[in-house]
Amino acid sequence: MGIGLDLGSTTTKGVLVDKSGKVIAAHLIPTGAIASKAAETVLEELTKLSQLELGDVSTVSTGYGRTQVKFAHESITEITCHSVGAHNLNPGIKLLIDVGGQDSKVIRIGSNGRPTDFELNDKCSAGTGRFLEVMARVLEVSIDELGPLALKSKSPCPISSTCTVFAESEVIGRIGSGESPANIAAGVHQAMAAKISTLSRRVGIASPIGVTGGVARNPAFRNYLSAALNCDLWMPEEPQLTGALGAAILAIARASDTV
Amino acid sequence: MSEKAYRVLESHNFLQGVMYRYMLEGHAASEEGKLAWVTSGFPVEIPVAMDVGVSYPEQYGAIVGSEKVGPKLCGYAEELGYSQELCSYARASIGSVKYPEESPLEGLPAPQALLACNNICGTVLRWYDAISQMIGAPVFLVDTPPLEGEQLPHHIAYVRHGLDNLVSFLSEQFGTTLKEDKLREVTDLSTETIGVWTQCLEACKNKPSPLNCADRFLAMAPVVAIRGRDYTLEYYQTLLNEVKDRVANGLGAIRDEKVRLLWDNIPPWFRVFRIMGSLAKRGVVFPADTYTHAWTGSFKDEDRMDSIASMYSNVYLNKGLEAKIDKMCGLIKDYDLDGFVMFSVRSCKRYSLGQLVSKELVSERTGVPGVVIEGDMVDSRLQNDAQVETRLDALLEMLL
Ligand code: SF4
Repeated sequence: MGIGLDLGSTTTKGVLVDKSGKVIAAHLIPTGAIASKAAETVLEELTKLSQLELGDVSTVSTGYGRTQVKFAHESITEITCHSVGAHNLNPGIKLLIDVGGQDSKVIRIGSNGRPTDFELNDKCSAGTGRFLEVMARVLEVSIDELGPLALKSKSPCPISSTCTVFAESEVIGRIGSGESPANIAAGVHQAMAAKISTLSRRVGIASPIGVTGGVARNPAFRNYLSAALNCDLWMPEEPQLTGALGAAILAIARASDTV
Repeated sequence: MSEKAYRVLESHNFLQGVMYRYMLEGHAASEEGKLAWVTSGFPVEIPVAMDVGVSYPEQYGAIVGSEKVGPKLCGYAEELGYSQELCSYARASIGSVKYPEESPLEGLPAPQALLACNNICGTVLRWYDAISQMIGAPVFLVDTPPLEGEQLPHHIAYVRHGLDNLVSFLSEQFGTTLKEDKLREVTDLSTETIGVWTQCLEACKNKPSPLNCADRFLAMAPVVAIRGRDYTLEYYQTLLNEVKDRVANGLGAIRDEKVRLLWDNIPPWFRVFRIMGSLAKRGVVFPADTYTHAWTGSFKDEDRMDSIASMYSNVYLNKGLEAKIDKMCGLIKDYDLDGFVMFSVRSCKRYSLGQLVSKELVSERTGVPGVVIEGDMVDSRLQNDAQVETRLDALLEMLL
């Protein structure tokens, strides 16, 4: 068996797999202030769900909090883990776009499932889940309602600022001038898709392309990104768990290496 | 693992002595009213041959960075109204002139002239103008228009004309003259020193590499700042002997070399030793970098002024992106490197602009992976360690 723990800035994800790589249990919670605490909670939950004794199971941690998990046997970056996780789910994927709460990354995946090139956007909240959260707040809808709202739009209203703070005041201005919330929401997704598409082009477009991370669940985001890249996008059933799955698979590999 | 991952150079003691002497000479020159501040790519052989002492504010910036007081000194410049986007060497320097008592070594000795050459960037001129406003010393600019491709005769003639004006300026300002044989002597000494330094750099083609990049970042100080002095030459000869010794005995800069990388750009002075130290533990060494390789070349021509004009126009930062890409590809091939790290320095637009494009092209041409990390050489507020670490780790996971 293998355990993968992905300690993101917003959520902590855990996956337990059997030795063939099949998922036995998975769990996800908000990271909160103390990443190591979140990791322990997720591990307890995996134990409960699987009803197995997990004390000695090979564990790999990933994500920005990866080095804070003392009980992990190894920590591996989210770049490698996402690449391995996506490859495991769909070996054809050549480019992976992962959009999380506070960062986004684009990874070119080699034929062995390992990354061959990557770009990260993590200095700035534009192009991350945080951008959508801020805009949802201004539009007074929940983050889950923002995507469906945007899909109702027939003519998205362009949001030209890429900076989250500037875009926020731009959106407030649009609301003031009477633009419909649906058109504004659509414009917000379009701006976000444009930003991610630029990041992707830096790595180089190679299809098939996969999208993962919490933001991938948003249907309007996928629509606009697909349009911006002029390409269909593949998404796994549980896009948020891809990194943790990759970590779990690497944990099995690690255990068989050391035996 | 009781042994340290990193081997310390014995010649570092010598280096410290050299730098101490440079500082004392600067103070003495300042007291005599014969000190100029110069930029890192300034044709310094001319003031040196005219017996004018020199101090390097950029080298001082590196000290500010290493002492981890960048945010404080840069903050003083920001209080005066300078933007955080301004080069942090400039901000640190302006801050230290404003509050010397708060600055390492109590600031640089006060200059009687400010000599700028824009072969590295245009910022230096405005920075020296700002200093001039504060302390009254006049600014002189040697203008070296950027080069794309070969340097044409009219370009040399133009720069040469600027150098002649420099001589008149220094004569007037300091009451000295330039003697042909003295210039020949100083440039010969520079050529010889640079030659020995280049041998030290090239010895890093050996496996294991006898020097890591942090060693070279320290060892480069005299070849930049103390040219045309015999004790500088003596230091590099000592360093070269130590390097040759290491090579002969198969000793590397780090104990267990596994991965060889190229470093691009100025280092984050406040963090470079920690980064290099922790990478050394994982078997990562940097046998080459574009920064310390920027101070090479020789003065051979019969006409020394023309030779100076040509050498200082052709410095790394004064050439186009294509030349930078060629240089990186050349170093990767010649030093047999497995990958490269490009440090994108928020302060230095001239060095960092185009890195994303270069990364792609260098990878394509050499077939080795690279990564861009972001930060600053002095202002640690512009750097996020966790983000730098993730990118470096991901690169190593591709290689190890
Ligand atoms: S901008 Fe770059 S080249 Fe110019 S002084 Fe600053 S660090 Fe040096």
